[in-house]
Amino acid sequence: MSVQHSSRATTTVVDGPVSRGSLWSRFWQNDAPGYLFLLPWLIGFFGLTVGPMVTSFYLSFTDFDLLTSPDWVGTDNYVRMLTNDPKFWTSMRVTMFFVVFSVPLKLCFALAVAMLLNRGIRGLPLYRALFYLPSLLGASVAIAILWRQIFSGDGLVNQVLALVGIQGPSWISNPNYSLWTLIVLSIWQFGSPMIIFLAGLRQIPSDMYEAASLDGASKWRQFVKITLPLLTPVVFFNAIIQTIEAFKSFTPAFIISGGTGNPINSTLFYTLYLYQEAFGFFRMGYASALAWVLLALVGLFTAFSFLTSKYWVHYDE
Amino acid sequence: MTIRLGRRQFLLGSSALAAAAAAGISPAFAQSALRLLFWGGQDRADRTYAVSDMFSESSGVEMAPEFLSWSDYWPKLATQTAGGNAPDIVQMDYRYIVEYATRNAIAPLDEFVGGALKLDNFDPDQLEGGKVGGELYGISLGANSVATLVNTDAFAEVGIDAPTNAWTYDDIMEMAEAFNSANIRGGMKVMSDGSYTEPMLHNWLRQRGKELYTPDGQLAFDEDDAIEWYTLWAKLREAGAIVSAEDQALDSGPLETTMIVLGKSALMPSNSNQLVAYQTLVQDDLNMIGYPRIAEGVGGGHYRKPSMFFSVGGSSANKEAAAEFLNFFISDPEAAKVLGVERGIPCLPSTREVVAPTLDEKGQIALNFVANLGDLLGALPPPPPPSAGEIDASLIRTLGQEVGFGAKSPEQAGRDLVSGAKDILSRS
Repeated sequence: MSVQHSSRATTTVVDGPVSRGSLWSRFWQNDAPGYLFLLPWLIGFFGLTVGPMVTSFYLSFTDFDLLTSPDWVGTDNYVRMLTNDPKFWTSMRVTMFFVVFSVPLKLCFALAVAMLLNRGIRGLPLYRALFYLPSLLGASVAIAILWRQIFSGDGLVNQVLALVGIQGPSWISNPNYSLWTLIVLSIWQFGSPMIIFLAGLRQIPSDMYEAASLDGASKWRQFVKITLPLLTPVVFFNAIIQTIEAFKSFTPAFIISGGTGNPINSTLFYTLYLYQEAFGFFRMGYASALAWVLLALVGLFTAFSFLTSKYWVHYDE
Repeated sequence: MTIRLGRRQFLLGSSALAAAAAAGISPAFAQSALRLLFWGGQDRADRTYAVSDMFSESSGVEMAPEFLSWSDYWPKLATQTAGGNAPDIVQMDYRYIVEYATRNAIAPLDEFVGGALKLDNFDPDQLEGGKVGGELYGISLGANSVATLVNTDAFAEVGIDAPTNAWTYDDIMEMAEAFNSANIRGGMKVMSDGSYTEPMLHNWLRQRGKELYTPDGQLAFDEDDAIEWYTLWAKLREAGAIVSAEDQALDSGPLETTMIVLGKSALMPSNSNQLVAYQTLVQDDLNMIGYPRIAEGVGGGHYRKPSMFFSVGGSSANKEAAAEFLNFFISDPEAAKVLGVERGIPCLPSTREVVAPTLDEKGQIALNFVANLGDLLGALPPPPPPSAGEIDASLIRTLGQEVGFGAKSPEQAGRDLVSGAKDILSRS
């Protein structure tokens, strides 16, 4: 809408010298009602998104502690983060580990279930809804608490293991496994990528498979040569969305570790560390800097994905 | 963006605009009542709400109380303070009072003492605890002390006497042998892992004549202390006397996740005012004793800590009314009966007299424990520096776990604690 309007305004200028007054009146007559209807969104966008972002960018160069007015400290926060803060690197490592393992595993699982559901089974809508359910519940506090119960020392998982004679550790409170319980929790929420995969699979024309099987291609070959290539735009989309989600993941780690990132910082997600700095230790300036580094990192990852996408994403044109 | 109303086109949207504007400014209208913010659970909230209703009835001042859990409370209070929207009355902790007072986020109350606030006979050490730089910033709502919770039924089951205030760290090992050979309830241990409980380290240091922090906010112990501390617990852990690191890590803060509630240990460090809350979560009978002594007859580790304060918001427009509420809260007899000892032992003798006969058995235990600390009692330590919370969260708790899981030796952890704490203290 704004593009159309600006081009019209340009035309007006070219027509001849226009006084400020008539530009205004044109604005009132043509554009203003549009902006008026956009107002609720604009208020939200500028008041709740752009405003806080600009403020946080400014604060990232200060020592703001919530209680006293911020003092400018230049790039100190960024310098300290990169050179003199082992916890920054710890949290970065935890988050990277989480992203690198949870995203591909979740996507594989989602695709596998989508393939199963795509074989024309009965009651598809029911299964689709059931499998989607964890995605709706996933980030909730209740599920995180349930997870604690399932993976604790005498929880469900170990009770099942005990049936086959294995004495399992307390998964949730053992630093070797605690992060994996969170990865499993993330994989369990495969519903939303699964729905998108399912829609993608439906788009693939069935005559391709018919032709391939006439030529004697095995199921596996059909999957590798037809399904996967034609699904790459969907894989690409899902991968980006899920990567961003994984970077932002906060609630499960917060609830399961009681906000501490323990045991031994093994679940200290980057976002959790950011939260601790901001609201635990009142270093809002430093936390703002952490937030901007995260944004830059997610931006880099996404840009990298887009740049490499032309080598592996096939758009059916 | 400039918006001039009055144009015909704008009439269409004016109602929407008005609604948006109203939504934007509505919080400004909700200021007349006296706002009270505190942390705690439902039980505390019920008592506090009842007392604020009683105050409203007797004084005509409208009250707007609100409560949160401890961990949600501080972010909320800090955010509201930063937004210039702090409540009139806030619950304050010994750990944060200096920070809030020095930043004028809470107001000095000296001008009301003798007027709205009648503090004659108020326990001197509790009054002192609420002072920062000689000015009174917080009114203690009760005294408490660190205490060890004792599951007496478990001791009866093992067949040994439960420890008393005379017990020592050496006793842990002895009792553990009895517990381990009795093997009750799927391997219940005698004691939880206290190595990353800050008050326990503090108590242990005080018995050695040291402190966590000096009055000017520097570290008051050295590497040797820290190494000995971690070695002490490492020995207990290796001997199987205390719960495993894996079990201890299940404790993520809420009472429900602690070792005594999970039934993993029969003894656990806690606070005297929490006995009542823990008893509601445990089937077995609970009692309370002091922290262990470093050797027979050595005391002075405990102190009567102001369990929490009420302070008046620095930007409050109703400081006088807030002070009146504080006075009502600590001295009104009917209010005292409702509040009991849930926030600790009341600091006015007259209030204590009203409360004592109304207490149930567990309340009596708490009252008597704090009143009869005897030689366990030492002087009030200086208020901790602002970054004490960070040292606790990011060093004491983590390093204890690292030793527990074998990721660090006691020597390494001791060195890291001292160097890390010095680093954090120098940064703030």
